[in-house]
Amino acid sequence: MMDGTLASWLLAGVPLLGAAFSFVVWSRPDYLRNCSVVLSILSLAAAAGMSGSLATSPENLLLIYLLPIAACASLLGQPVHKNLRLSWIMTLLFLGLGFVILTSQHVVGQVCLLVLLSSLIALLYRHHTKLWPISWFGIGAYALAVGCVTISLVAAPPLSSVTSLLACAILLPLVPFHSGYITALTRLPGSLPSFIVLLLPAIGIHSLATTVLTVPDVAMSTMTVLALVSALYGSIKALAQSRIRLLLAYGSLSFFSLFWWFVAISRTITPQSVVFLAALSLVTSGLLMSWQVVRTRYGDDVDPQAISGLVRRMPHFAVLFSLLALAAMGLPPFGVFTGFIGMLLTTALTSSVALFVMMIVWLAASWYILDMVQRLLFGRERSDLRYEDLRRSELASLLVVLLIVIALGIAPSSLFGITQQPSNAETVKESVSWNR
Amino acid sequence: MEPLDSSINIETRRMELRGVIRLAGEVIAQYWPMRTFVHHNPLHSLEYLPFEETVRRGKQFMGGNGYLPSHLYRDYLKAGRIQSSHLDAALKPLVHDKHLAIGSRTVTHGDVLRACLEEGLCTPVMEPLDDQLPDPANELIDRIAARLEPVLTFPDLRERIRTIAEGDQAALGRWLTLSHWCDDTLGTQIVQQINDQLIKWCEAYLDEGHATWAMPGREKGLYGAWKALAVHEWSPCGIADSSKKISRLPEHPEDALLESLNALGIPAELRQDYLSLQLTALPGWAGFIKWRAEERDYPWQQAYPVGLVKFLAIRLWYVRELVQQACREKLGIEGRFDAVTAYIQNHSEEYYLRRQRVAGRLPALYAEEVDRLAHQKGDGWKPLLARYRAEVVPRQEAAARRGAAKKLLALARSLGIDEAQLIDGAPADLKQIVEWIEAFPESDHGPVWLTAFEAGYHDRLLGQLRARTNDAKHPAPTRPHSQSVYCIDVRSEPFRRHLESVRQHETYGFAGFFAAFIRYRAWGNEHDTEQFPVIMRAKNEVREVPRSFLDHALLKHESRTRMVHAGHTLLHDLKENVITPYVMVESLGWFYSLPIFGKTLLPLLYRRWTDWLRRLFVPSLATTLTVDKLAPAETADVLAAEQQATVRHALQERTGVRSSRITPELVEALRQRALSGEDDPEPPLTQAATEAGLSSEVLTSFIAALRQHHGINQRASSRQKERITRTGFTLEEQVLTVDTALRMMGLTERFARLVLFCAHGSTSENNPYESALDCGACGGNEGKPNARVLAMMANNPRVRERLIKTGIEIPSDTHFLAGQMNTTTDEIQLFDPEDVPPTHREDLSLLQQDLNKAAALTSLERCGRFPDAPQASEETKAEAHVRRRSIDWSQVRPEWGLSGNTAFIIGRRELTKGLDLEGRVFLHSYDYREDPSNRLLEVLLTAPQVVAQWINMEHYFSAVDNEVYGSGSKIYHNVVGRIGIMSGPWSDLRLGLARQTVMNGDAPYHEPMRLLTVVEAPRERIEKLIARHDVLQHFYHNAWVHLVALDPEDGVWYRYLPSGAWSPMDHLASKEHIHT
Repeated sequence: MMDGTLASWLLAGVPLLGAAFSFVVWSRPDYLRNCSVVLSILSLAAAAGMSGSLATSPENLLLIYLLPIAACASLLGQPVHKNLRLSWIMTLLFLGLGFVILTSQHVVGQVCLLVLLSSLIALLYRHHTKLWPISWFGIGAYALAVGCVTISLVAAPPLSSVTSLLACAILLPLVPFHSGYITALTRLPGSLPSFIVLLLPAIGIHSLATTVLTVPDVAMSTMTVLALVSALYGSIKALAQSRIRLLLAYGSLSFFSLFWWFVAISRTITPQSVVFLAALSLVTSGLLMSWQVVRTRYGDDVDPQAISGLVRRMPHFAVLFSLLALAAMGLPPFGVFTGFIGMLLTTALTSSVALFVMMIVWLAASWYILDMVQRLLFGRERSDLRYEDLRRSELASLLVVLLIVIALGIAPSSLFGITQQPSNAETVKESVSWNR
Repeated sequence: MEPLDSSINIETRRMELRGVIRLAGEVIAQYWPMRTFVHHNPLHSLEYLPFEETVRRGKQFMGGNGYLPSHLYRDYLKAGRIQSSHLDAALKPLVHDKHLAIGSRTVTHGDVLRACLEEGLCTPVMEPLDDQLPDPANELIDRIAARLEPVLTFPDLRERIRTIAEGDQAALGRWLTLSHWCDDTLGTQIVQQINDQLIKWCEAYLDEGHATWAMPGREKGLYGAWKALAVHEWSPCGIADSSKKISRLPEHPEDALLESLNALGIPAELRQDYLSLQLTALPGWAGFIKWRAEERDYPWQQAYPVGLVKFLAIRLWYVRELVQQACREKLGIEGRFDAVTAYIQNHSEEYYLRRQRVAGRLPALYAEEVDRLAHQKGDGWKPLLARYRAEVVPRQEAAARRGAAKKLLALARSLGIDEAQLIDGAPADLKQIVEWIEAFPESDHGPVWLTAFEAGYHDRLLGQLRARTNDAKHPAPTRPHSQSVYCIDVRSEPFRRHLESVRQHETYGFAGFFAAFIRYRAWGNEHDTEQFPVIMRAKNEVREVPRSFLDHALLKHESRTRMVHAGHTLLHDLKENVITPYVMVESLGWFYSLPIFGKTLLPLLYRRWTDWLRRLFVPSLATTLTVDKLAPAETADVLAAEQQATVRHALQERTGVRSSRITPELVEALRQRALSGEDDPEPPLTQAATEAGLSSEVLTSFIAALRQHHGINQRASSRQKERITRTGFTLEEQVLTVDTALRMMGLTERFARLVLFCAHGSTSENNPYESALDCGACGGNEGKPNARVLAMMANNPRVRERLIKTGIEIPSDTHFLAGQMNTTTDEIQLFDPEDVPPTHREDLSLLQQDLNKAAALTSLERCGRFPDAPQASEETKAEAHVRRRSIDWSQVRPEWGLSGNTAFIIGRRELTKGLDLEGRVFLHSYDYREDPSNRLLEVLLTAPQVVAQWINMEHYFSAVDNEVYGSGSKIYHNVVGRIGIMSGPWSDLRLGLARQTVMNGDAPYHEPMRLLTVVEAPRERIEKLIARHDVLQHFYHNAWVHLVALDPEDGVWYRYLPSGAWSPMDHLASKEHIHT
């Protein structure tokens, strides 16, 4: 039997070495993109091959499988363009770091997390513009995360627990620590936003699984309130957005906040909540890839208001985009729905305020997501737009995401290596009484 | 004197305003209620302008395209529907004698223009600032763009801003309303908000019995009713203090409109255009109001008057409030014309950025910055513009150069030039080519394409006709088996062709109302239909009555009909009631499953079964028509019978007396008393009333009610009498009608034993456009009554006697029959078989056989044109298929209707006999030798041709821009107010024809081209008529209709040019004259 640490490094080695060697084909963007895709597929194969040797929980295993899939889909959806080369290499780098963080011992993982956060800060700084001054808040948020992770490494509980919780709130976004997430999704180039939208929450949930047991009650109570406020805030902000990436960022923030609320009141992470988070991240990733399809055709910083009437001339895109939007709205049979219902059934829902907030979040999502779909797909077909339906690689990337999200919704959790038994017996008992 | 002067002044201003609105309303067409759908030119009021100019106006005011998208014309070119030679000929007037060299190849201006058309080089494209789509040609494009860089310069941003600001200032009021301006600049939705309000009010006010709860106060007129109700609305569209503001509005809509125009500061010289723009924001509702306002006798108009002044008074109030609100809140300026123009001039940089942001032309980050500045009312516009100039403008210019390079590359590929030679070409030459391309924008392509497209069809049709004329000199000498007259409708052409092929039958074409201008009331109906073209007026009324020998069956029929009617009413009331539907769904809902499953799964069987059931319960009655005038005594009898029926009904309704106690004596006594005008009942009446259980007080009040509310008084009687005397025709009128009809169609000798006047109608299920498939010449109704009237007149021996004096001798063995063709199923139904003499039974049987055969052949031909029809090779299958279409309630295209129409031929049948005209041609029989006075041709050119042109233009515009001039997809149609249809639950009244009527998938089934009229008559006669009628001058001189004449005097074909000259077609090659 292979040692867990060795397996972890072997797994991470595939994308990390790939990232290092990909500089060899730096001058050939098409080769570079294809190599990156192949490396992400190899990473998936490695993860599958070494799953038995990795020292990780069953819930993490699902995320480990999903990370290379998300990386592969994000890379496939990219146009071959020299300006995007760095983003592809960084995707591989982040994939490798993600593997290490999710599978290694505490210190090594935290160090890798520091590397990842530092890289993010560097990237955000590189893509900072005066027209988007808010990105300083994002950089600041990740700097705070670096500080928190460092303190959690050196300090003793309860300080280490609280700082670790703060770091989690930055990675798995929660108001008021959400700026990093929003900025990363909005400002990062190429394949990175659609990849880190899974990576960061995955790391967040991984850290949270250990932190949540040691955090003081008062901190968790605060998180409960913050989660509800955050859910409302995210929904309202999403409603007010005209830019797609911001809309998706705030929309996913509101749903991640629901996840936070469940974790805060149950103080446990159930398999269903992992499915919910994974599905939500993937759906957001898929929608970001869809928007990338539009940006590829009409410019990187195109105003969504300039685009309409895609449905007739880009039917494949329209179908996949619509299905992803339905998934993001939490409709069955997609994973977001299944995960959310699973969370409800395994949690004692005692607060009517929380129920009200959830309802608001859901209704708001159905409003802004459908509005986004309607604006892009319908309306008058513009004669001055060149319409071109999905290319094969783009079709494959969106299709992969969609199929995974459907699989998360309809396949038994055990298929992904997740145990069906909730870790907290009391939760089950309460959920049964709630269900009555 | 001052108050008098003031009131005169006010009245003058009101009159002046009404005049302005009348002119402003020219841009919108009248909208007839859908139950009598009338095909018409949606830009009919602008026909005094040349076609191209009108199309431009349509674009300006309604946003509609006047030509097909270029890619469809390109498809026609590839498919050979447009000939290359015709395209060159159409392009010739635009080509300059210029050329330049690219490598070894000489490129002429004509080559470039031709490539623009064929390759779509001029299609405006939004070039992305960062083009990331991989393209093997990217490197080449970049190199060409680099070559263009030194020569292809762009105006400075300041210059561009100044140009835009000046252009918008000039457009404001002319092409752009203040509400549109706010939407385009501030991102508001004012136009949509106002439209929503107007749709709401128009829908409620103009309802004609569709709504269960009618809008209250409609008798006050649209403006009054709106004012009375809107005052109770809470802040409509977010207008503050709306109640107070509405209650303070003047009583007269003219005054309110003037107040709003003054508040908006619209200069007097712009008011007409401004109001046109307001009307064209909702051309459907405004068009219907325009129609109703002109129909003063229309019962709904009499009850609830409406007009464009009232409509605009309401609309402009919303405009003024919302524009004011938006301008104050977002810009801090007054919502007035002068304030807005000053803002554009003084804040042009801010204005530019705002406009670009709303149009989605700013990069996303800049768009957000503009939003931030707009929200904070900050003063950072100049720095932002400076940044924009430094960062974005160079990228825009680079993108524009790449766009130009792509066009050059496409041109090189089109002309077969080696692409690499573009790199070597002189930059100045490349620039010159780019300028040629840009000087021929796609908006200029339409006329060229259309001219070429029409030329191809004209050549083909006229070629067929010219080939045929050589054999068309003499008609067949023998007596034909039958003669039948069909409507000029294009759908008659295939049927006529097939009937003629079956046996020796002669056919004629004539406008489907058969010269019988009648207002008609069918048996059992309460309303009249107007059976004549909408541009005419009726003098005579005709009623359908049961035949006299059917008294017994009549009573049974009436009682059963009443029962059915009561059942329908009960069901309707139960469905529409507030409470009962809750119970009804549970209890009766199941019964609806039978029709649902029947109509869906077994439509033919279900139809047969329901027809059988209907016949079983309410047997049909043989009827006849009141063609002859009534004698004075008969008139009095009819009047008395009508009044007695009214009294009987009123007695039951008002007093509750059972019908068994109402004696004829009582009814007659009451009628006489009400007519006499005396108050005290006479003893016999009192006695009869007492027997019926009526007290003297009740009797007195009932008699008063009869006079006041039921029109039983002398004045109303004389009106009724006058109406009754309009029923039927005098002998002179009948003679004139038959004589005119027969002469116009050229049927004055060699009468067959059977002559059939064949009207047409259609049957379809679940189709609000059903009347569009009926006869346009009969005002959108079935033509059956007209055919029956003419046949009855022509069979009248006294009429025949008189006709002999006018030179038409109808043999005694000639019998005239009336029939109707169902254009959906191609079946012919013959009427009044009781009147056919026994001697003609065999002829009739033979004719019926041949008609059935012709119908089957027509169905077979038509099945080939349906995209979803099985390619049937057997007639029976084709017949079954068209029958199924007619009763399929999910069928969006029961038939193609008049789609495909292109030409109108006025001449003898010998010109077209045997030619397959593909059901695209209106055929009107006309023999110039029967018309020495030119009177008949005058009628043909000014009536049937006008109808044909309306039909043609309706189809043309519905095909070229179905969203604006058509009514969009049928899938989303909802009937509103029993007057029209809306798309979805909330829209303008949709104009024109549905997408499924004119389009076959994404390509047009109706190939849109202007009507070609072909006349067989001496040119001098036509010229005289053109000189006499403005409508003909508009048609031919403004290029709305193409005119070709076959002059029988020299046998030469001539084309009438817009200049007024004739061009002999045998001497001119088509290439030379198609674009004249």
